[in-house]
Amino acid sequence: MPVVTFKVSGADNCVRVADLPYVYIRTETGGSVLPASCPHRGGPLNLATVDAAGRRLVCPWHERGTSLSRLRRQVPAVRSGDTVTAVLPGPADVPVEHCHLPLSPALAAGA
Amino acid sequence: MSHTPVPHEPFELRGDALREAVLAYAANPLYTDNEEWENSDNPYRRQLRPQVLPYLDFDRVPGRERILEYSSLAAQRLLTSIYEADLVFFPKAGLGELAEDFRRYYSPGNRARGELIRPALERFAFGFLDEEVEVSGDWTTEGLLAYLDELDVYAPGEPSAAEKAIRDSSDPQRAARMWLIQFAPDFLSEASPMARNVLGYYGDEQSEWFKILIDEYGYGVHETKHSTLFEATLESVGLGADLHRYWQYYLVSSLALNNYFHYLGKNHEHFFRYVGALYYTESTLVDFCRRAENLLKDVFDGSADARYFSEHVHIDQHHGRMALEKLVKPLIKRHGEQIIPEIVRGIEEFRLLSTIADEDFATQIAWMDDADRYKELHDPVYEAIREGRVTPPVADIVEPYGELSNTHSHEGDELCHIVSGTMRFVSGFNSYRILEAGEGTVIQRNRLHGAIIESEECVYQIFSVGDHRACLS
Repeated sequence: MPVVTFKVSGADNCVRVADLPYVYIRTETGGSVLPASCPHRGGPLNLATVDAAGRRLVCPWHERGTSLSRLRRQVPAVRSGDTVTAVLPGPADVPVEHCHLPLSPALAAGA
Repeated sequence: MSHTPVPHEPFELRGDALREAVLAYAANPLYTDNEEWENSDNPYRRQLRPQVLPYLDFDRVPGRERILEYSSLAAQRLLTSIYEADLVFFPKAGLGELAEDFRRYYSPGNRARGELIRPALERFAFGFLDEEVEVSGDWTTEGLLAYLDELDVYAPGEPSAAEKAIRDSSDPQRAARMWLIQFAPDFLSEASPMARNVLGYYGDEQSEWFKILIDEYGYGVHETKHSTLFEATLESVGLGADLHRYWQYYLVSSLALNNYFHYLGKNHEHFFRYVGALYYTESTLVDFCRRAENLLKDVFDGSADARYFSEHVHIDQHHGRMALEKLVKPLIKRHGEQIIPEIVRGIEEFRLLSTIADEDFATQIAWMDDADRYKELHDPVYEAIREGRVTPPVADIVEPYGELSNTHSHEGDELCHIVSGTMRFVSGFNSYRILEAGEGTVIQRNRLHGAIIESEECVYQIFSVGDHRACLS
């Protein structure tokens, strides 16, 4: 399992592992690392909004909702200050690329 | 017959009630200012500067950017005093004339008043960690082991900011003594916070933890008890080894690091956090102690007794392994993966506090080393005030010979200006400048300092300039 440390905001706020980007997001109910790719068609979940009930991330492509609590559970992570360390799925030696992805205002509450 | 349940209200002390309770605790004669810079073989005396406490607000949670301020130093001093009432201390020379102090410190009144304010002080002192460290996601044992592997705890690390500060100091021996002083609250009663976790009844892991504890205590052989080894280190470089002799020279971050383990050990709901912090500290101490041993050897030309550190290079290789194999893994097996987030949190909180302590110490050494520069800054800053270019609040103070301003710090830069008389201004252990009439010094924000009057009387002014650089333009 690759263990990757990256910034919670700004440049290098994203890691790409096996072509899947991961970002740290923070809503009013706390922060977590999640795949920034909609399970429907791969839309940019980093630009998602949160539904009125605060329970689902709404993808900007097809407005499909994905359970926020389910997404939050996917990636074990620990944030310390402005960096976060995440334990990602896959073999430990898989290539990891740092990059930047913008976050929607709804997912950047702590940025 | 029916009963109306008594409404349950969680205990919480806030506002004026908290302030009054803090004052009541600190009013114990044990906690008044000292007339000397050092305590002398009296483990019960701890200077809490009670006269300042009415002006401090502990009913809040300072963010990370404010945890080095004086309010935090005051809170950490209070907490040290409160936690240590659970430990047994006697003067090295025997109780002698200190029987009254002994009774005052361990009295039910002192202990009860301490316990009353402890939760609020802990919230004030460690509440920032709730914001700074956040664990999320579903952690598995496999994920935890991958994370621990990535920490690479046994790898040779770079010298810390504190170690660099000592080597680069204009007076490395003075800096190293100041460094050893910072360890004294921990090392002289070493593993006492840990001992809080071996009481009770919780299975095999309890006995495994007990093995680590008895290592720290030298298996009952006093000469090999780790605190005995540390006493030898202190004495070999000319420092006293009696408890809290150097109370006034402890930095806020050094106290925080030691109090953190008491905080976790005292509050057993944080038990698993302690397990995480234990694993990390025992594992990383191997490399740290190797570097510390070399540092002391270099700085004191081989004359420092560094057995304390060489012992830990050896034994903590075992303790790190024991903490993982005999505590972390079995505890997860017994209690489930639900405890892993707390283990991870303990690791990261301890790492953060260590980093803060390293940087705080390095800044203090720079402040001590730069005493001449800060003294020279008096002239241009005072000139700006005299010419009215800046108009900071001022306190006019008159003090008699021998008056000792016990160590403290300020939340902004201050200018000390001597109107008449002589002051010895102290910026750390064995670090001082003599200030005569017309002279003074800039006092850097959050830097520990104190002063003693060396003339029959000294008239001086303290200007709260905020940021002294604003006076230079």
